[in-house]
Amino acid sequence: MKALMSVGALIGAIGILLLAGMILEIVPSNTVRLVEGYMPMQVLFELTLFVAGFTGLSYMLGTMGMALPRFWQGISFWCFILLYLKYRVYPPIPFSVRAMYGTVSLIAVFMWVSANEEDWKKFKQPIMNVLDAQSGANKMLRYAYLVLLPILIGGFSYNAMVPKSEEPIELRTVHPAPPASTKVHGKTYTLQTSQNPYRVNLEGKFDQEYSNANIVEQGMGRLMKPNANPWDKDAQGYLKYVREGGEIFFQNCHFCHGDNLNGRGLHAFAFNPIPANFTDPGTIAQLQETFIFWRVAKGGIGLPNEGFPWASVMPPWEQHLTVDEIWKVILFEYWHTGYYPRTWD
Amino acid sequence: MKNSFSLKAGMLLTAAFGVILVAGSTGGLAFADEALPEGFKKGELAPEPAADMIEAGKRVYFTKCVWCHGVDGAGDGPGADRLWPRPRNFNQGTFKIRRTASGELPLFDAKKPTPGQNDLFETVTHGLPGSAMPSWEGILTEEQRLQVLAFVTTQLVKDRKFTDKQSEAQTVLQLDDLKPIPATEESVKKGAELVKEKKCVECHGTEGRGDGNAFNLKDDWGFSIQPADWHKCWNFRGSRQDPYNVKNIFRTFSTGINGTPMPSFADNSTVEERWHIANFVNSLCEREADGTPLAIDPLADKPKINFVVSSGVVEGEIPADPEHELWKNRARRYVAMGGQITHKPRNFVNRIDDIWVKSLYNDKHVVFMFQWDDRTKSVATGKLPWAPTEVNIDVKEQDPKTGEEGSIAAHQNNYTVYNDAIAMETAVKWKELPAPIKPRYLFGSNEQYPVDIVKWEADGSLRAFEGTGWDKDFAERDTYEENIKILHSEWKDGRWTVIIQRPLGNKKDQDYDEDTFFEMGQYIPTVFFAWDGHNGDAGRKMAVSAFYYTFLEPPTPREAYIYPVVIAFGVVLLEGWVLTRRSNKRKGKTL
Repeated sequence: MKALMSVGALIGAIGILLLAGMILEIVPSNTVRLVEGYMPMQVLFELTLFVAGFTGLSYMLGTMGMALPRFWQGISFWCFILLYLKYRVYPPIPFSVRAMYGTVSLIAVFMWVSANEEDWKKFKQPIMNVLDAQSGANKMLRYAYLVLLPILIGGFSYNAMVPKSEEPIELRTVHPAPPASTKVHGKTYTLQTSQNPYRVNLEGKFDQEYSNANIVEQGMGRLMKPNANPWDKDAQGYLKYVREGGEIFFQNCHFCHGDNLNGRGLHAFAFNPIPANFTDPGTIAQLQETFIFWRVAKGGIGLPNEGFPWASVMPPWEQHLTVDEIWKVILFEYWHTGYYPRTWD
Repeated sequence: MKNSFSLKAGMLLTAAFGVILVAGSTGGLAFADEALPEGFKKGELAPEPAADMIEAGKRVYFTKCVWCHGVDGAGDGPGADRLWPRPRNFNQGTFKIRRTASGELPLFDAKKPTPGQNDLFETVTHGLPGSAMPSWEGILTEEQRLQVLAFVTTQLVKDRKFTDKQSEAQTVLQLDDLKPIPATEESVKKGAELVKEKKCVECHGTEGRGDGNAFNLKDDWGFSIQPADWHKCWNFRGSRQDPYNVKNIFRTFSTGINGTPMPSFADNSTVEERWHIANFVNSLCEREADGTPLAIDPLADKPKINFVVSSGVVEGEIPADPEHELWKNRARRYVAMGGQITHKPRNFVNRIDDIWVKSLYNDKHVVFMFQWDDRTKSVATGKLPWAPTEVNIDVKEQDPKTGEEGSIAAHQNNYTVYNDAIAMETAVKWKELPAPIKPRYLFGSNEQYPVDIVKWEADGSLRAFEGTGWDKDFAERDTYEENIKILHSEWKDGRWTVIIQRPLGNKKDQDYDEDTFFEMGQYIPTVFFAWDGHNGDAGRKMAVSAFYYTFLEPPTPREAYIYPVVIAFGVVLLEGWVLTRRSNKRKGKTL
């Protein structure tokens, strides 16, 4: 038990030191790197480690006779949550969302310290001590509170009342419901039944299994399968079309969606929201190919009413590309990210 | 005195060139030991990477790199023709960002990804900001980055060999051992004199905005190339994602940029002089008002963006002089610009990638000051090929096919010159738009919810348009022009400053259905457009921003001074109550 707890304590201590170092910018903030696409899992894992660490730390401190009072445990755990949200999670979360998480965790801390009567008493004790001011130190503290509290609260309320300009928050619908069918270049495509005509095997037949077997591999780098190079001179069928799709992508799309399809192209920094990140499991990996076809063909201007706020500069690509070119680009996007398009069944 | 000095400098320069020439013609490297420039040491060529690494690298290359750099590494992949600068052509072994002396191959060792000892690895890791080359850190593993470089350096560099001791040598700048000279005022001043003396300003311009010799420079491959704008250090290719680090400037200045007209100054400047120059160039990069570097967004390697352009209140006239105290003290906002690539003619290479906006308002007007770097003042010489209001012009875009003939890079500086221009688009009746409806991003929603566009052009004209939809031509508006005014417009040393005044809008003088009414304390959707006449920008071939918000700062209300005091007093009372209650309880009394 003790050995286990000391391991936990070690993890906790290292974690706290790392976080403090990152906040004070002593340790570079990318020491433990958050990897795109894996970030939520990473954060959850880290938090689990931290909780284990804290358990260990408090146990070890207890056995050494330096147990932290419940009052300070509660406060420091809450501070830790706030700091973690502010300094560790990337990309940064807006203040309003942090405030929400902060409130929820405050309630959680309260529930924890008031789980039973005894705990609650222990938690209250330091507060009561200051109120009663039996010792000199507590008396000082009480006077300090008496003076500081009104000043602080007055200051906060002044700060809240002075006019400020903060960017209004706009929630957005990422994947609006698609229409039943879409008309592109004079032809109507039913989204439920349409297929990518270039997802074909060597015989030229639609073959999702064949194409899925030839996409790039998941994992860091997302590299192509060793024997499935679209740039091979003899590449036929699916792989040949992937190359053609890639050519179109790198002549039209990469300016925004990026060389690695992660939404960080040359012009991306100028736009808000930034262009879609196809390597994120929440975008094309969640969608049917025909949905992508509709979005590519109709662009930002073709978004339905619930697709606000329409800050998308995505052009309706039917104005620039043929139907065949659009299908090929989609083929390429799935190949390059290593995702399977979702199917209807 | 001054005359004789510059004569001396000239002679020294000639002598230096002479030495280089002689050294070059006799094979040079034999002498390298004796004539090692200050701050450099002789290095060893790295061993050839293992065959399995090269093979693994091929897989990385054909997944990630081939799309721009091409099958043979000639910088002619499918993406190449719409990029400027073009992707690197590896065949000649000419690499720009290095710690090795001018003309030499860069440092690369497939076994050592050590920072400071592996130029190519650092280029792939950090990317080349300001170009389409992204940072591959976090995308490719360290191993994969080394593998792909092993493939590129052995298979795609064709004219030179990284391991050939006969023809190659490495003279390495000892960047990590050289201690920077602190950027004191004195050092910066010395640097400012040195950039004139070393003739840096001839290309980079008197203010360092890259406007000195913007048209006649070509790289080794015959493509137009522009001198760097020292005010945008985040666009320095060699910034290594650390743009305010003076060492990067020192390195570029010491080793030069192979394949471009930027020479190495290692032979004709001392290390001390180079630090002064680097300090000066670094001091020019845009900063906050208090002198701290701008916060850089690590995902984009550009300054962080705040989308609220807040306008300060002024009593009385708003000054027309940009040097006026009111303008000087006003906070400015960085507005990022991307190419307009939604409508033909598409602008894949927008030469204006940011503008700075300030704003002031009084009881009648709101005034915007735009400042942006543009290497050239452009006033139309040719007739516009299409009306500036027109959209979806059936224009033949250059062939996207691979081949240098039709590429954007080959076209640079050959465009018919049109007007430089700036415009802002604001939503009309923005208050009426029922949530969640917002004005559609570009050019207005529809007839009912149009946008109001005010455009200034370098020929001095100021015009107003109405946009009624994504795909609609703009309607020119006549009546409104009496109300808008150009307060100031000037191009100086590579920077435009334009001040435009427009009415706040009231129902008596303006048309509610066509004009934007600005209201205090509200967020008014605003988009900015910019044109570079020498880039052939005209009509919808332009640079566009995202949606920003114009926000007229309300003056601090009197309540903000009263209520907090009342609240603080209330807290004191509350404290008194809690304490009395507690002490009563302790004494066993009850109230």
